Amino acid sequence: MITHKYDIVVIGSGPAGATVSRFAARAGLSVLLVDKKQELGAPIQCSGAVSRHALEEVGLPLAEEYILEPIYGFAIYDQAGKAKKIDYRRLKGEVYGPGPDRKPLGYVVDRRRFDRYCMMLAERAGVETWLKTEGLGYTPAADGSCTVQLRRYNQLLEVRCRVVVGADGLMSQVGKWAGLQTHIKITELAGCLQFIVDRVETDGLLEIITGHEWAPGGYAWVFPKGNGYAEIGLGVISTMTEHSAQWHLDKFMRQSFFKDRFAAARILEVQGGGVPLAAPLRTQYADNLILVGDAARHVNPITGGGIHTALSGGKIAADFLVKHLQGAEREDCSAGALAGYQSAWLAALGDKMWKLYHAKTAVFHQEDIPTRDAYLFKTMSDYFDPNSEYKKI
Amino acid sequence: MSKPPVIFSIGWNACINCGACVAICPQEAGFISPFDTIAVDRPCDIACLLCEQICPVDTIDHVVAPPPETALT
Ligand SMILES: Cc1cc2nc3c(=O)[nH]c(=O)nc-3n(C[C@H](O)[C@H](O)[C@H](O)COP(=O)(O)OP(=O)(O)OC[C@H]3O[C@@H](n4cnc5c(N)ncnc54)[C@H](O)[C@@H]3O)c2cc1C
Ligand code: SF4
Ligand code: SF4
Repeated sequence: MITHKYDIVVIGSGPAGATVSRFAARAGLSVLLVDKKQELGAPIQCSGAVSRHALEEVGLPLAEEYILEPIYGFAIYDQAGKAKKIDYRRLKGEVYGPGPDRKPLGYVVDRRRFDRYCMMLAERAGVETWLKTEGLGYTPAADGSCTVQLRRYNQLLEVRCRVVVGADGLMSQVGKWAGLQTHIKITELAGCLQFIVDRVETDGLLEIITGHEWAPGGYAWVFPKGNGYAEIGLGVISTMTEHSAQWHLDKFMRQSFFKDRFAAARILEVQGGGVPLAAPLRTQYADNLILVGDAARHVNPITGGGIHTALSGGKIAADFLVKHLQGAEREDCSAGALAGYQSAWLAALGDKMWKLYHAKTAVFHQEDIPTRDAYLFKTMSDYFDPNSEYKKI
Repeated sequence: MSKPPVIFSIGWNACINCGACVAICPQEAGFISPFDTIAVDRPCDIACLLCEQICPVDTIDHVVAPPPETALT
């Protein structure tokens, strides 16, 4: 039995889903946002590094509620520990810094608090939000709308809408509902593990450690985590090693050039996840359905960062849906009618992401390990360079 | 010859509920457990074992699924 009707139903309240919902509701669409979790963002599967620009671009207030620590730049290390530091406090001290008239380049956020904050803003914009509600499937109907099957506190129910937005993250099932090709290659999904630790010093920089020795196919990182804590993590491509990410993280902490720095580390939290170092999906829409965020593989293939792309992709999706569902062709929500979403996304973000994907592929096609390591170090250093063409991704 | 179906067991004590196994899995929609891992309550007939390969804490194991019981006639 159909109990509710909306213009759009959004599956998943991460940064992508909450942003689509907020902008759509603000423009007058009726929106249901569902998430299967009881506490958004938990268990944490993210390091939480995001640029200030990415937050401001989608109108997110820079709130203490979710910010753990400001970030002022990067340090990229090669396998032996030689660093290239890009510290905006030195490069552009008049703009960036901790002082009153200065600002940070970005932040490390607490994803539990951040995701809750994004959902709260959506809620205040008029979105109906249901936690403990899992999307199970959808069925396009003859009249051009569709029904969505949900399970909410063990109860099965059906709601009707015009468009379903799949914002259900890396484990996305929504694309599969529509038969879209969503599969990630094993050579392009990094298995990641990270520890929040006490007694490791940091200095306001995101530190990125390259080298096959430490993180085959990926990289290791040390991020400031607020309250004097740090985060140490890494991601590996499983076809490039015999061992698990856990084994590599243990080795990195005990044997790398940072072993003295890490010697007193005490682990406070254990987290992990998968990061697609992949291309965006070739088709991100179907009848009555679009995908956004990790579900559409909107992830930066060089850094694995996906918060910025989830937020800005969410806004692009909302802008498209508002225009379409308030326009003359609103009765038509077939795949063909929704294809414009993908074109808009490609023009704004996607074409650059495809370029990054090709840059990343060029690195990992190098068979010789030292050559590949040198290439990765250079690619990462260029990427974070103040003059990089990708600065805003 | 295609691989025999397998049934998975997950060492829940080590599992960090990260969903990487689900993300890599080519099964049809819904082959998941309530803990954001691949399903453990029914056999997998694809048996590519990518889920075991990706797991960051190496906590997935499998046995070959017993053949379905044939009805006695
Ligand atoms: C170890 C690690 C470190 C990372 N570090 C960074 C970083 O430092 N910076 C950065 O920018 N990115 C980072 N990322 C990537 C980033 O976490 C993701 O790109 C980002 O979370 C994607 O947002 P999203 O909204 O698309 O999906 P998600 O944040 O994954 O949200 C999806 C939501 O959908 C819900 N959901 C799923 N299925 C259903 C269903 N059937 N019904 C209802 N709800 C459902 C989930 O509960 C979840 O709340 C990292 C990832 C990992 C694994
Ligand atoms: S063996 Fe392959 S298809 Fe089966 S659950 Fe694991 S990843 Fe999925
Ligand atoms: S990949 Fe491993 S740790 Fe992650 S959810 Fe699956 S079984 Fe658990």
